[in-house]
Amino acid sequence: MYTLSGVAKNYQKSGRVVPALRGVDLVIDDGEWLAVQGRTGHGKTTLLQMLGGLDRPSAGTVDFDGQNLAAMRESQLTRVRATKIGFIFQTFNLIPTLSAAENVEAALVPLRVPTGRRRDQAAAALESVGLADRARHLPSELSGGQQQRVAIARALVKQPRVLLADEPTGNLDEDTRDEIIALLETLWRERGLTLVLVTHDSPVARRAQRVAVMSKGMLTLRSPSPS
Amino acid sequence: MFFLTYLRRELRRRMRQSVVIALGLALGIGLVITVIAASSGVKKAQSAVLSSLYGVGTNVTVTKKPHPLGNGSKNQITVGPPGLGGRGSGGGARICNNGNCHTLNGGKIDNLTSMAYTPISQASVSSVAGLPDVAAAAGGLILTDTQATIPSQAHPSAAAPSSFTVDGVDLGHLGLGPLSNGKIRSGRGLASGDAASDVAVVDSNYAIANKLDTGSTITIGKKDFKVVGIVKQPQGTGAPDVYIPLARAQALATTKPFGSTHLKDKVNTIYVTAASAADISTVQREISGLLPGTTVTTASSLANQVTGSLSSTAKLANELGKWLSVLVLIAAFAVASLLTVAAVSRRVREFGTLKALGWRGRRLVGQVMGESITTGLIGGAIGVGLGFAGAALITKIAPKLSATVNEATGQHFFGAGPGGGVSAVPGGPTGPHAVSVPLTAQVSLAAIIVAVALAVAGGLLAGSFGGWRIVRLRPAVALATVE
Repeated sequence: MYTLSGVAKNYQKSGRVVPALRGVDLVIDDGEWLAVQGRTGHGKTTLLQMLGGLDRPSAGTVDFDGQNLAAMRESQLTRVRATKIGFIFQTFNLIPTLSAAENVEAALVPLRVPTGRRRDQAAAALESVGLADRARHLPSELSGGQQQRVAIARALVKQPRVLLADEPTGNLDEDTRDEIIALLETLWRERGLTLVLVTHDSPVARRAQRVAVMSKGMLTLRSPSPS
Repeated sequence: MFFLTYLRRELRRRMRQSVVIALGLALGIGLVITVIAASSGVKKAQSAVLSSLYGVGTNVTVTKKPHPLGNGSKNQITVGPPGLGGRGSGGGARICNNGNCHTLNGGKIDNLTSMAYTPISQASVSSVAGLPDVAAAAGGLILTDTQATIPSQAHPSAAAPSSFTVDGVDLGHLGLGPLSNGKIRSGRGLASGDAASDVAVVDSNYAIANKLDTGSTITIGKKDFKVVGIVKQPQGTGAPDVYIPLARAQALATTKPFGSTHLKDKVNTIYVTAASAADISTVQREISGLLPGTTVTTASSLANQVTGSLSSTAKLANELGKWLSVLVLIAAFAVASLLTVAAVSRRVREFGTLKALGWRGRRLVGQVMGESITTGLIGGAIGVGLGFAGAALITKIAPKLSATVNEATGQHFFGAGPGGGVSAVPGGPTGPHAVSVPLTAQVSLAAIIVAVALAVAGGLLAGSFGGWRIVRLRPAVALATVE
């Protein structure tokens, strides 16, 4: 699915070059669940942004399904994001003025899905995360766990091949965290998704097939340690 | 539709900000509409003044100044009680013609004269009509009928002399000249079949003042005319008092009081309609070449001669009002743009998320544009309401405007004579002519279209700034933004 070769990302900060990624090489197989761990500021989110085509590397290639995301035009990247990649964020990033169903529908808008079908698909996605009865609720009327479920439904409604989750349980209590991870695991298994999950949480990382650890912009791979 | 749902919800979320933007635009647009309405009201008032003098369809008038008279050739009538009639009168009235004076004792004077202008040959009307850029031309005779009863030794008390203006109307071109501006209130207007008839149409104000009605008789140039209609002219515009067929006016009128030279085949005003508004200055040039020595006046040059509060108000509306509106609009547009950019800055993370979901930049720009234009249109709608209110307020509180036309119009020219009498002196009609006109500010469809255009422009401008911010937004940076 992904082949990253010599990926580096440098940021300019106060006239200084700050390296966020240093020569990352990584292969992620189709249908694999990879957990990415590491301390804050060591490049986890930057790596996820490279995988999602949200940012471009300073050097190296990000090969996704045979296409180098680093060399794509912005419009092509937008198309890839719209069709093949689903995102889940730590802070849920739901549109506060839209209902749960409308937030899910927002992911289908770039695909120009007709209104009726869009509503049906959004309803089905909400049902798959157990929130069919909360479709008309605004994000502010939902709990943190429910909001993250809506975000998962939004990420999956377009049936992407990849799900990129950036600390999806970072803002949740332990019980809710377990619920969300269980849900993600179920969806990953049922849908054959490629799941890349950034987390601080070792119990969460242990459920992945492989764990990548980011340290000072460099990546090392290891198998998940048994719980 | 998702676009509209999102737009509606966002506007509701930022209600206070949307209201501030909409009200700012509304204020600017309302002011623009009020100024346009006031300006159009002033133009209407100017038009009322001018059209009452020369008719609705007239673009150009042609007149000829009266010949200057030396002291020795002065015509003068002085009417008054015995002993006050003038030097050596000893009785009723004293008439001086080219310096030869004699006294009248008893009887009536009724003179229909053209003292305002020097007569022009009627053939000139056809010549003017034949010019390439002229659509129509009509001749007219602006006359003054002076009537007085001369005191006699038996009846020494002098009856008050009176005068009224008479317009000889070209019945072949009833759409030109002062009569075309009026509305027949009773009876009928003049018709082409009236050319040889002693019939008259009387101005409603003059009719009321002199107790005239359809069927009454009025004496003009010692002839009895039957009043066949009463015409209402715009209030306070100084239109002629009586309208009679041109041929009858030519037969009865003389060039000067007690003169014997009649005005057969003469006119003293030519009313001209240009083929198009763009041709007016060409027509003016052509007529000046064709009829040297005449005064060729266009409606716009006549408008420039209008002074008084009407003129001041026109300047105020056109200059101060225009610039005030522009300033308020610029301020409103600037505030709308700044607030929109601020709103976009607050929604950076939201837009970053949508970009991550695969929304194109132009779709997001369209969303922000839609929100801005909707706010602008709401502001425009409120602005139209404010404009109507402003126009109504102006109409309600504005005092009547006075207009003074420094142009010979053939209107009343009698001044107070010695001893309470009245004297008629040529040259009087070329004095200033003052009228009072109401200011009615009306909001036109064009003004509303301007308002909508401004509202959309304001929305587009504000949305463009917001859109520019979005286009430059990198999703990774947007998602990293802390709100």
